[in-house]
Amino acid sequence: MPDDRAPWEQSSPTAGYGDRPDDLAELRDLILGPERRRLEELERRLDAAGVTREELAELLPEAIALRSGRDRQLGRALAPTVESAIGESVRRNPRPIATAIFPVLGPAIRKAIAEALAGLVASINRTLEHSLSPRGLRWRLEAWRTGVPYAQIVLRHALVYRVEQVFLIHGDTGLLLSHAWAPDFPASDADLISGMLTAIRDFVADSFAPEREAGGLRRFSVGELTVMVEQGPQALIAAVVRGEAPEELLIRLQDTLETVHLQFAGPLAEFDGDTAPFTAARPLLEECLATVVATDRGRETGSRRAWVPWAVAAAVVLLLVGGLALRSRIRWNTALARLRTEPGIVVTEAERGWRRSSLAGLRDPIAPEPSALLAGAGVDTGRIEQRWEPYLSLRPELVLARARRAFAPPAGVELALAGDTLRASGTAPLRWAAGAQAVGLPAGTTVLDLRGLRLEVPPALGDLQERLARERVLFDVGSAVPRGDARGTIERVADAFGRLESGAAALGARATLELVGRTDTTGSDATNQELSRNRAEAVLRLLAGSGISRAVTSTSAVGTSRPLAGTDPAESARINRSVSFQVSLGLEPGREPR
Amino acid sequence: MIQKKVCMVGVQGTGKTSLVQQFVHSMFSDRYLSTVGVKIDRKALDLDGTPLTIVLWDLAGRDGQEDITTSYLRGAHAILYVADGTRKETCDQLGELRALAREAAGEVPELLALNKIDLTDRWALDKRYEETLAREWDLVRTSAKSGTGVEEAFQRLGRATLATKEARS
Repeated sequence: MPDDRAPWEQSSPTAGYGDRPDDLAELRDLILGPERRRLEELERRLDAAGVTREELAELLPEAIALRSGRDRQLGRALAPTVESAIGESVRRNPRPIATAIFPVLGPAIRKAIAEALAGLVASINRTLEHSLSPRGLRWRLEAWRTGVPYAQIVLRHALVYRVEQVFLIHGDTGLLLSHAWAPDFPASDADLISGMLTAIRDFVADSFAPEREAGGLRRFSVGELTVMVEQGPQALIAAVVRGEAPEELLIRLQDTLETVHLQFAGPLAEFDGDTAPFTAARPLLEECLATVVATDRGRETGSRRAWVPWAVAAAVVLLLVGGLALRSRIRWNTALARLRTEPGIVVTEAERGWRRSSLAGLRDPIAPEPSALLAGAGVDTGRIEQRWEPYLSLRPELVLARARRAFAPPAGVELALAGDTLRASGTAPLRWAAGAQAVGLPAGTTVLDLRGLRLEVPPALGDLQERLARERVLFDVGSAVPRGDARGTIERVADAFGRLESGAAALGARATLELVGRTDTTGSDATNQELSRNRAEAVLRLLAGSGISRAVTSTSAVGTSRPLAGTDPAESARINRSVSFQVSLGLEPGREPR
Repeated sequence: MIQKKVCMVGVQGTGKTSLVQQFVHSMFSDRYLSTVGVKIDRKALDLDGTPLTIVLWDLAGRDGQEDITTSYLRGAHAILYVADGTRKETCDQLGELRALAREAAGEVPELLALNKIDLTDRWALDKRYEETLAREWDLVRTSAKSGTGVEEAFQRLGRATLATKEARS
């Protein structure tokens, strides 16, 4: 049958409906299409039986916010992943993380430094207060008495609270699962304490609250200590706190206990005495150990006892002034004693005042300067008025000192005092010895004794002395008349002695000439003695004729008793028939030592 | 480290406390027994190289109407009963004690220390009675005076607690 309908009529759904399967399907699609597609989508979702990525993306932020608001488990679960992710990121390229946290770091560091400084100032204040206050001294005494370090004593007293021990205890058995304690806290027998604590909780519960739901003993105090206990389904946590345990600590303990139950759910459920798995719980317990020290409290008590440091400071000043005064007094007394024992100084008046002191007395000019003695004893001489009258002390040491000053003895001469006699000994130049005779005797002496001195003759005079000693006037056998050549000898002797005499006189000394007459060994001794005297006197007459004063000459007749040595007997006999000359140099007769 | 809670129960005056005194590490005084009703000591054991710590709960003895505090028995890994061979009534009450203990601690290893064996002249149990006891109990004869049997009792209890753990796992 030819299709004579218009084209728009041919596709009409009503025309020949059911006649062609294609049309039917098309129709169904047109009517039910959207519903069918939704059904298919639902089917697919049911088949996947989970959440699609798209859905998860939708829900995730909301879910995280929801769970975070409820508790902290999400944070704990994510922590390891986040940590390792950050670690990995830093390992690969630290720049992005560094850039990200840079704005946070600066202020954080500044804040930390400010806090540290504030803490330092507070701690200096506290230290000062503790060091000077009676309480500080009491604590020091306590530290010394108990042998506990001072820092620990201070901590104990300045403490608000300190968590000293934390126990994690298995609920049913009372066995100790884990234990943490403060660093310097001596922890021992924790397992027994853990058991006994459980027993005591049971005891209290049995005695006062038999119904189990009461939750048991949660908190008890002994002296400064408080024990806080939190009970969980499988385990309990107990903290030993010194000081005023705050409520937030209880919340912290609860939190820790919850974490333990979460992380150790398996080991707790299966616990049969093996505590090894709970070693890992110790860091959690250690987080609960805390020390909180009073900083404000110190200031309050500080203002109330502000006078104490001042009083201590005043006491120190007083002590210092007292000490100085005492020292000054001791020095004054020492100096005075020193002056009183010093020869040549007589203290007649000594007055010590706060501002000025005065001293008066007698002083031998030869005695040491009093000011020097005072200064030597540490006394400030600027504040001492001194009046010293001169006097002469006859104390031997001062007499001797005066003599030394007057005589100025050369090296090798010793002066000594025996009664009022001043004695010189040793070797002295002729000039000094002669001069000494001319010096006035110092006070306290009446006699100068120079007999102990050996005199040193000047070389020029010594030369003349020797020359004279070599001269001889010779005689013939048995004759007392000088031989013909004697005249020359006499002239030489007279000349040499004249010079020697005037030289000695210039020094203040005196020369004397001794003529020694001799004979040879022939003849009797008596004859020889007579002959030798005659010979000496004969020469003396000749010398007198040459101008030598008899006052400075003398003769001695030795006969054969002091012979001169010759080379042979004939020569010996010849030279001993002679008169020889011996010069003595001495001091002026008027001053001749007695 | 493995720890086990072992409770020690008996009638007053069976010599419980003095029986273990020299074998355990103690930090609490006997005063706790009369005040809190329990005293806790520690006993370290070495079982063929396996270290084991027994935390010993020494419960105040049953005294007339005063019963033992059963809450102390909770969680016990083993129970050591102590009876006095010179006082038959202390043995007669073992059954009641056992019932009390089992109710609180459940089925755990048990051991009976028949104490004061050194007092032979005052021994109050006849042969038949002792045989009955031996049938009903894992029994160790002990003396607080000489220390006889105490170490053995601890060793046996220790092994028993480890064995139950193995059996359980």
